[in-house]
Amino acid sequence: MDAAFTYAPLIALFPLASFVIALAFGKYLPTRGALPGIVATGASLLVSVWVAAAVWQGHVHHEVLYTWIAGEDVVSLEFGILLDPLSALMLVVVSLISFLVHVFSLGYMNAEGETGLPRYYAELGLFSFSMLAFVYADNLLMAFIFFELVGVCSYLLIGFWFRDGAPASAQKKAFLVTRFGDYFFLIGVVGILATFGTTTFVGSEGFPQLAEAAIAGGETFWGIDASQWVTLLGLLVLGGVIGKSAQFPLHTWLPDAMEGPTTVSALIHAATMVAAGVYLVARMFGFYAVSPTALAIIAFVGAFTALFAATMGVVKDDIKQVLAYSTISQYGYMMLGLGVGGYVAAVFHLMNHAFFKALLFLGAGSVIVAMHHKQNMWEMGGLKEHLPVTYWTFLAGSLALAGIVPFSGFWSKDEVLFEALLLGAEAPIFIAAYAMALAAVFLTGFYTFRMVALTFHGEARTDDAATPHGVGWSIKFPLVVLGVLATVAGLINMKPVAVVADLDILYLETWLDAGFETTAYGTYTTLVTEVAGFSYADIGPLLPAIIALVLAVAGAALGYRTYAVAEPTEPVKRLGGAYDLVRANYYQDEFQVWLAEGFTARLARAADSFDQIVIDGTVNGISTVSLRAGSRVRRLQRGIVTNYAALMAASIVALLLLFAVYGGWF
Amino acid sequence: MLIEAMLLVTLVGALVVFASPNRYAGRLAFAISLLPLGISLWLYHRFEAVGNIFLGGDPAFETRAIWIDLQPYAIEWWVGVDGISLPLLVLATILATLAIVSAWTPIDERESQFYGLILILETGLIGVFVALDFILWFVFWEVVLIPMYLLIGIWGGPRRKYAAIKFFVYTNVASLAMFIGFVAIVFGLGDAVATFGMPEITAALHDGQLGALAGLDAATLKLAAFLAIFAGFAVKVPMVPVHTWLPDAHVEAPSPVSVLLAGVLLKMGTYALLRFNFTMFDDVAQQLAVPIAILAVISVIYGAMLALAQSDLKRIVAYSSISSMGYVILGLVAYTTYGVGGATFQMISHGLISGLMFMVVGVIYNQTHTRMVGDMAGLADRMPVVVGVFVAGAFAYMGLPLMSGFAAEFMIFYGAFESTVVPSAPLVTAVAMFGIVIVAGYLLWAMQQSLFGPFRLETDEPLGRAPIQDIAPLFVLLALIILLGVDPDIFVTMIQDAADPVAALGGDT
Repeated sequence: MDAAFTYAPLIALFPLASFVIALAFGKYLPTRGALPGIVATGASLLVSVWVAAAVWQGHVHHEVLYTWIAGEDVVSLEFGILLDPLSALMLVVVSLISFLVHVFSLGYMNAEGETGLPRYYAELGLFSFSMLAFVYADNLLMAFIFFELVGVCSYLLIGFWFRDGAPASAQKKAFLVTRFGDYFFLIGVVGILATFGTTTFVGSEGFPQLAEAAIAGGETFWGIDASQWVTLLGLLVLGGVIGKSAQFPLHTWLPDAMEGPTTVSALIHAATMVAAGVYLVARMFGFYAVSPTALAIIAFVGAFTALFAATMGVVKDDIKQVLAYSTISQYGYMMLGLGVGGYVAAVFHLMNHAFFKALLFLGAGSVIVAMHHKQNMWEMGGLKEHLPVTYWTFLAGSLALAGIVPFSGFWSKDEVLFEALLLGAEAPIFIAAYAMALAAVFLTGFYTFRMVALTFHGEARTDDAATPHGVGWSIKFPLVVLGVLATVAGLINMKPVAVVADLDILYLETWLDAGFETTAYGTYTTLVTEVAGFSYADIGPLLPAIIALVLAVAGAALGYRTYAVAEPTEPVKRLGGAYDLVRANYYQDEFQVWLAEGFTARLARAADSFDQIVIDGTVNGISTVSLRAGSRVRRLQRGIVTNYAALMAASIVALLLLFAVYGGWF
Repeated sequence: MLIEAMLLVTLVGALVVFASPNRYAGRLAFAISLLPLGISLWLYHRFEAVGNIFLGGDPAFETRAIWIDLQPYAIEWWVGVDGISLPLLVLATILATLAIVSAWTPIDERESQFYGLILILETGLIGVFVALDFILWFVFWEVVLIPMYLLIGIWGGPRRKYAAIKFFVYTNVASLAMFIGFVAIVFGLGDAVATFGMPEITAALHDGQLGALAGLDAATLKLAAFLAIFAGFAVKVPMVPVHTWLPDAHVEAPSPVSVLLAGVLLKMGTYALLRFNFTMFDDVAQQLAVPIAILAVISVIYGAMLALAQSDLKRIVAYSSISSMGYVILGLVAYTTYGVGGATFQMISHGLISGLMFMVVGVIYNQTHTRMVGDMAGLADRMPVVVGVFVAGAFAYMGLPLMSGFAAEFMIFYGAFESTVVPSAPLVTAVAMFGIVIVAGYLLWAMQQSLFGPFRLETDEPLGRAPIQDIAPLFVLLALIILLGVDPDIFVTMIQDAADPVAALGGDT
């Protein structure tokens, strides 16, 4: 075994240690817990890179670490570690972003004189721990466990400023909406465990493999055909994914989650909470790859969400809100990629998005510091001159988000679209998904550059924007690191270039097509084509790439031209009713609030009335004994309670007598 | 003899506390309660797997002697434990000690009587989990009721009389039904048994020795007895629709008493159901699997919906118990290792978690003198430590992984899903699982309203610092909840050993 693998469990345990330190001793430490967090996540990053290097050399690792519940004659429930190309890649991404967020927090939280910092750093440590353990989980139950912990850490961090009403409401919403999704996920976990007797991801005894065998063998479970049963289980697990990755219709919590500190938003959006959902689908892709129905549903949920969220991103005024809707939309692309069988494309976009979205959020955080904690873009303008580092890095992130060559987002988004097109050319229904995603490309370009223009270009529209606050190295350093990554990360899988120039430069694809056979890209491709029956047209990648690029550039140019002026106005308002509808987020929030308060709470009150009047009323009615005894007791003084002991004793004697008479003792 | 020692020190301790001055009663009771706690932990330490003592297992730490010889039946002093009763014994002694400490602040009158009654209550609870002779068991069962009645009736809230008498009459009527049902079975067995030893009665029933009685054939008699006994225990659990005594009792009871009521007394009901209905009468339980599973699901969902409608923190926690106990019934009726084992583990886990929640609500009440969600907001600003524990406890209640509630509920869900006894088990399980969403709904709502947001307190109490004796028990419970969540095998290994034979009755090995 490679030495790196021996130390790999520490990747998650380091941040756990920083959680404990910050919680117990944070208030005595000079940085209130920031330093242990930085050291811990830095160490996690180093070990992750070491692990990735070992994986690069072709080594993989799967080991059971801990038996949670040992079954004597039944299945044991265990925790293990799974290190393969997918998890190694994700470990590096998560620990890197977590490290940078910790560093950034020095400038964003400590320097701004926040109180409650030990709590902040403790929760940040717990958050990193949970996500990293989730990433290397070797089975679905363990994944669920850490998935939930990620959820509770999000809850705690979104509500960091609990003294205000809005964060308190947002944290509740985030947990409740995702819990609704996790309800289905948990049924899925239980179902998979009960069906296959295991929840392990890899190997011939892994549940995806067993599912494939069951379908091939024509088995039935609970009277249901194996292929339908697998689809059902897959969709149940997908419920959790839709909740965490903020896909329609469970996306509503994410924009509200902006109430948390911006550093937390960066972590939630780029590397932890939201990423967990899509990562899970990738992790157990072998299970979805055998079910064409589940794949199609993933693809359509993704494509629809990509477009739906992009429309809402266009009309937001708060810089963080724009980014929030862009996150929802971008995760839609990843779902689309997975749904059409483009495993590499989706993982590629997951990685690129992690870099550029963390960058954009941290950039927004820098702007917010500079703007004395104002977030409305209409109050900004002209910040380019004052914040050059923030501006140029933010621009790099924006170009990546908008999907403009050669920035990272272009390559991965294009690959997702390309995969969708290839499938759509053979199975026309998927053309609809492709079209939605393509329309979203234009909108993404538009809202991204609307944001850039309103924030950095034009002229300062308020005094705060004219005299911004400077930002320190702890803010600039993470921005520069991520700015570089957002610019160049796409070069590892330039599909159009590789195909057109016939070069062997698809490094990510090669990376993911290694490791355990059952979780290799090649195996997935075989499953998708042979078991799910998907077929792909033979189309060159150049023209589709150009179409996507033209749309992105057109959107970006339109956004820039409209808003990068001295006195920008809001032309979108001219859409009238449509504008109002989008501005109100399609009344999705109202609907869910109605569901919670108008429907469920009302039903609960009705149940309560029923309980008090009918059930308890009946009880009180028939037990006249109770009432009579009650009225008598009211007259008695407390001191005479011994009477009741006597009553008690008498009743026991009566029972024994009854028993004696029937028992024939006399 | 260790079990006798445990009962004796607790009972004698109670008498000592009764005689002690009020000023020292609390400290003294605490010191005394450490003895049964220490013994139960020693028993845990020394325990070796014995199987299920109702199904042929040799009771651990057994003592057996003729107590009263009434021809043709002998009443015996027969005590012993197995992997199901020992964890409950440990739970009862832990919670009793912690409840005593948590009573130091709120109980400020007639302390010696209060703590004396708590120790008598503890004696009864210990007895219920160790007795193997039915009559002996029944005596302990009834012994529990009297101190509980008095504790609610004397130290309770404004409507304590109503609540106490309701509790008393309700559970006493239930005891009567159960007693008659059981005795009918003993008579129906005729010469097959000569004692009230419950393991022997179980064996005789499983041998098909039951005869006709009073014009009822054996099958009808068994069914009728099953129903009477089931109804008797269902009150204690409580299951819908015989649950309405519970919220009244909890709301009126002082918090330390609520801790024991929810933490241990409810488990007497589920423990007895497991021993009697699901072990002795396993065939009838399996025949009636559908109605029992439906009742379980109704308890889960309906109980949670009721909790959703409450605005008194204590009522919220009280109604959630109904929901959590519904899961126990679901696990039992599944007749799988994980189902029965999970149900037993849920008894322990819920005892700790509901104990923690009642305690933390009590600490808040001690400081604010209100429990109404609408009367307070933003408490996190003033009581950060207590609120931190509240949040942790609430998440434990919601089944957050790596806390004991998740382990228990996951075991139940898995066990129920693969049940072959309950028809359409996956569907039934999925419906019951919706409880995890509702529980999140009401606890998150209550926390948002009362703990977060801008600080506001309608009662205008000067918020002091909660004293250490209020805080320490909270952390002990929280630590146990996390410990059992990370390593459920602390109890699950021994539970499995005793639950497996029960599951085997349903054909699951």
